[in-house]
Amino acid sequence: ATPSSSANRNAILVSNRQKGNPLLKHIRNVRWTFADIVCDYLLGPNTCALYLSLRYHLLHPDYLYFRIRELQKNFRLRIILCHVDVEDVIKPLLEVTRTSLLHDCSLLCGWSLEECGRYLETVKVYENKPADLIQGQMDGDYLSRLNHALTAIRHVNKTDVVTLGSTFGSLSHVMDASMEDLARCPGIGERKVKRLYDAFHEPFKREV
Amino acid sequence: MVQFHEHIITELLEDTNGGLVVTSSGLGLHKLISSLFILHHHSQGCLLVLSATPPQKSSILRNYENDIQSQISGEVPNLPSEITFDLPANQRLALYTSGGILFITTRILIVDLLTHRLPTTAVAGLVILNAHSLSDTSTEAFIVRILRSTNRSLYVRAFSDRPHSMVSGFAKAERTLKCLFLRKLHLWPRFQVYVSQDLERDPPEVVDIRVPMSTYMIGIQKAVIEVMDACLKEMRKTNKVDVEDLTVENGLFKSFDEIVKRQLDPIWHTLGKRTKQLVSDLKTLRKLLDYLVRYDAVTYLKYLDSLRASESFRSVWIFAESSYKIFEYAKKRVYHFGRTDSGKLGLSKTVSTKKRKLNDNKKDEDQSTSTETMVVLEEVLEEPPKWKVLLDVLMEIQEERDKQASSGEEKDHLGDGDDNGIVLVACKDEYSCMQLEDCITNGSQKVMREEWEKYLLSKVQLQALPKRNAKKAKEPKGFGVLDGVVALSPGKKAEVSSISKQEHDALLAAASAVSKRINKDIVGEDDNQKHVDVGGSVKRKGKWKKKKGSAGENSNNDVAPEDDAMEGGCLNEVFLRKHDLGLDAESSRETKKLPPVVFYALESDKKILDILKPSIIIAYHPDIAFVREVEMYKAENPSRKVKVYFLFYEESTEVQKFEASVRRENGAFESLIRQKSLMMIPVDQDGRCLGLDSSNEPQSVISQNHVTRKAGGRREAEKEMQVIVDMREFMSTLPNVLHQKGMRIIPVTLEVGDYILSPLICAERKSISDLFVSFASGRLYHQVEMMSRYYRIPVLLIEFSQDKSFSFQSASEIGDDVAPNSIISKLSLLVLHFPRLRIIWSRSLHATAEIFASLKSNQDEPDEVKAIRVGVPSEEGVVENDVRAENYNTSAVEMLRRLPGVTDSNYRAIMDGCKSLAELAMLPMERLAELMGGQKAAKMLREFLDAKYPTLL
Repeated sequence: ATPSSSANRNAILVSNRQKGNPLLKHIRNVRWTFADIVCDYLLGPNTCALYLSLRYHLLHPDYLYFRIRELQKNFRLRIILCHVDVEDVIKPLLEVTRTSLLHDCSLLCGWSLEECGRYLETVKVYENKPADLIQGQMDGDYLSRLNHALTAIRHVNKTDVVTLGSTFGSLSHVMDASMEDLARCPGIGERKVKRLYDAFHEPFKREV
Repeated sequence: MVQFHEHIITELLEDTNGGLVVTSSGLGLHKLISSLFILHHHSQGCLLVLSATPPQKSSILRNYENDIQSQISGEVPNLPSEITFDLPANQRLALYTSGGILFITTRILIVDLLTHRLPTTAVAGLVILNAHSLSDTSTEAFIVRILRSTNRSLYVRAFSDRPHSMVSGFAKAERTLKCLFLRKLHLWPRFQVYVSQDLERDPPEVVDIRVPMSTYMIGIQKAVIEVMDACLKEMRKTNKVDVEDLTVENGLFKSFDEIVKRQLDPIWHTLGKRTKQLVSDLKTLRKLLDYLVRYDAVTYLKYLDSLRASESFRSVWIFAESSYKIFEYAKKRVYHFGRTDSGKLGLSKTVSTKKRKLNDNKKDEDQSTSTETMVVLEEVLEEPPKWKVLLDVLMEIQEERDKQASSGEEKDHLGDGDDNGIVLVACKDEYSCMQLEDCITNGSQKVMREEWEKYLLSKVQLQALPKRNAKKAKEPKGFGVLDGVVALSPGKKAEVSSISKQEHDALLAAASAVSKRINKDIVGEDDNQKHVDVGGSVKRKGKWKKKKGSAGENSNNDVAPEDDAMEGGCLNEVFLRKHDLGLDAESSRETKKLPPVVFYALESDKKILDILKPSIIIAYHPDIAFVREVEMYKAENPSRKVKVYFLFYEESTEVQKFEASVRRENGAFESLIRQKSLMMIPVDQDGRCLGLDSSNEPQSVISQNHVTRKAGGRREAEKEMQVIVDMREFMSTLPNVLHQKGMRIIPVTLEVGDYILSPLICAERKSISDLFVSFASGRLYHQVEMMSRYYRIPVLLIEFSQDKSFSFQSASEIGDDVAPNSIISKLSLLVLHFPRLRIIWSRSLHATAEIFASLKSNQDEPDEVKAIRVGVPSEEGVVENDVRAENYNTSAVEMLRRLPGVTDSNYRAIMDGCKSLAELAMLPMERLAELMGGQKAAKMLREFLDAKYPTLL
């Protein structure tokens, strides 16, 4: 069910069923066009999305199941884009979660039409993007890396990192500092001193 | 034992179920608990003590040991022991059944209860400290529920000495009682009649000293309060917070953050950046007020510098009008910077200035000038006014004693004869203690000078700061000032805006002079030891000071005017001249005798009064809890004469805060008394408390479904559902709630996932803040990858907090474009890369429990043994019954994993090859390369560890 005209490859294909969905006017960063498809949105050759408003789900609890069944096994990634538009979410969301989990769909929730639209855009734009962004390869500058490392210790904040850095001169000196030297840093109280010292000097693995 | 303690205990013992005791702070809770220990007999079963902080633990223990020594009973007392993670299971069992008193962490206890390693009948009772931090989802409540369900005779005695925390939130006291299945609330405020009788029978003698603040301190205080007020006004404009709570007085307390947070949390995600910033600004400002009266001028300036460097450009307060004054005054307390038209008033004036101005805060006035550029950097180094007062008080005490000694009447006059004449000085923190001690032994000017030199040095980032054990660290490159100056010039531009270029140069020059002298001294000391004969320098401890002592002599001769540094030469001489004077001042002080002084940091929370038995106490930083402790101490030792000096800064927030804390505590008690009269506690027929019973909850969605789907609503004999939970998850409250739902919790150490629901379903739980952090660190990607590798249905559980809004961001924050840093983008990428990943969006803990139950309903139960093996590197094997989560230094591991070059594949090897982060910091490249499996990674790490921290200037 994938029309492969090259002009449409970079566009989101929208099912005719979605005509009149106010969500469509929030898809602005990517081109989209109506097409005769079985899913609601076709985001790539193997990626599709179904749109579900929780309010609609409350009226038609079986709708989602029938829509998923229609998809058969034709897609690698099947997204259920759930618009959270009711106040009392727990029960309907539980049902939607259960249905999507048992029928191999990935559930994404948006709280506004803008947010839902943005998910569609993003999935399309990132279709072929590598995962670097979420693999934590930060090539940040020295200061942000130092920040990131030292704030692994609870209650250590950015100001403390500056104080520690400027007092001891380098991370290895910070790690080797004595309790007394740590205590001499303004803004670092008794408990933080202990926390820092323990983090540096207690063994990674305690002997059993 | 004071009488009202006996009253408390009698009342508490009346109900066999136990009760919750709330006292004013400082009323000797540790003594109360140790008295309870004495009443415990091992035939009753064991007594478990939960949630005690380490200082609490040690003071309870110390007190208990004293108590049993004074007892005449012939029986061998059972000393409390501590159950820690490293005790093997069989030894733990032996302790449980011994009937002794056991300190235990909630995590070990809950795991042992769930695995049935602890027979519930062996437990006589629980003592829970810090009851104010409990909630119905906390692990303590979980423990009590399990124990109560099988052991009807169990007693639970909970304690808190923070009444104001007991009234935060809706009906907190009542809820706490219910979650512990208790009925009785015992309130013991300071104004309670027994308490006040005991404490006021023979109160200690009090001397209240009001120290005027210096002009600049007043200026800073005023400016901070102005900024604070401005921030509060801004906050009011947002219309998001109850205006009544937004007062400067409230702003002085830590609990202010809680007030604001509680109100803003439900809508936190919808708040604009500005409002969020305001909240954190108020916190910063509170610290500034606090530190103003705690730190000396130089340290304060240093803190401000760090603050300025770390605050984001967004912060509101830094740009408020009055903030300028804060920085300006703070600087003026340390040095003046200005340009003069003639170079004449340079050196010659130095000494005369000092002589002329001998009033308190300008004592140490001095100047350094550059005759060429006509730039004057004049040191002020204002001493905290309390320093002088403290010295005066100490000298006065000594004089009085001398007088008494000469009149020969002191021994019989001073009471029991065990008076050791110790003067106890109580400060807020360890740092103040060290500094004051230094002040008394070395003179206040010297201390200020040291702080100043340290400050200057940190400006040029001299890595060779004096180290206790310099030998093991390899010398960093760029030793010496010049390198420092050169290295820093490109980076400094960002900061220059806030501080003028010339001023910056002058500071650098001053710093270079200091460091040069130190360099010379090091050389000098190596070459010949002849300089050591300088007066006072010998007895001082520490390399750093010694170096300076010798500087007094040698550099006068061999420091010629420098050609490299800008004003180096002149500055150098000025410094030295001053230094000599410092020594003179010190030697003159030595003639005066001071009484023996002990410094005590209130923060350390050690109960020191009973050990030291001081006769004179100086409250350098007055604190309400400490005042009560002194009162208690006096009440327990009625024959001892106790004199207390309070040092307050006049008209300061310090006074305000002290007085407000009394008011606040009384207010809290009044509210608790009101609440107590209105409480509704359900009780069963035997008079036992029912607590928060899960059977009262509305039927869950699934069970409703069960009714309709199963023919005729017939209920099958319900099979108990099982969930395998990672040991680390017991920090969170979800296991508790799952258990409330009737699931069996099996705690194990999992390598992959947090919750195993079935052989197919494995879930990783992320709270919202966790989610953001672990996306940033790449941890989540790795975790999902592992789950996908080992389980058919990997699940990411995104758990929102019940009292916070159910959404990621406000609509206004979404923006117009697809942005790589948005959470939407990250989630989309995750979904694209792991199409098999299922996401659960849960509104709250309870919703999560519902969802878990629903997902499990048509699945097999998970296999514990298999789950443990998953993802464990095969060579490591699985240890029977281990509590591995307890055995990791989690902060250290987390920090290690965040270091550059460290990856998921090599961090285990690093942990095996070196013990701690401190050791890692010392490892040479070759060894690192071995551990990390590559030169490149090792180099990256080594360079990061040794990289010079860029300077502030």
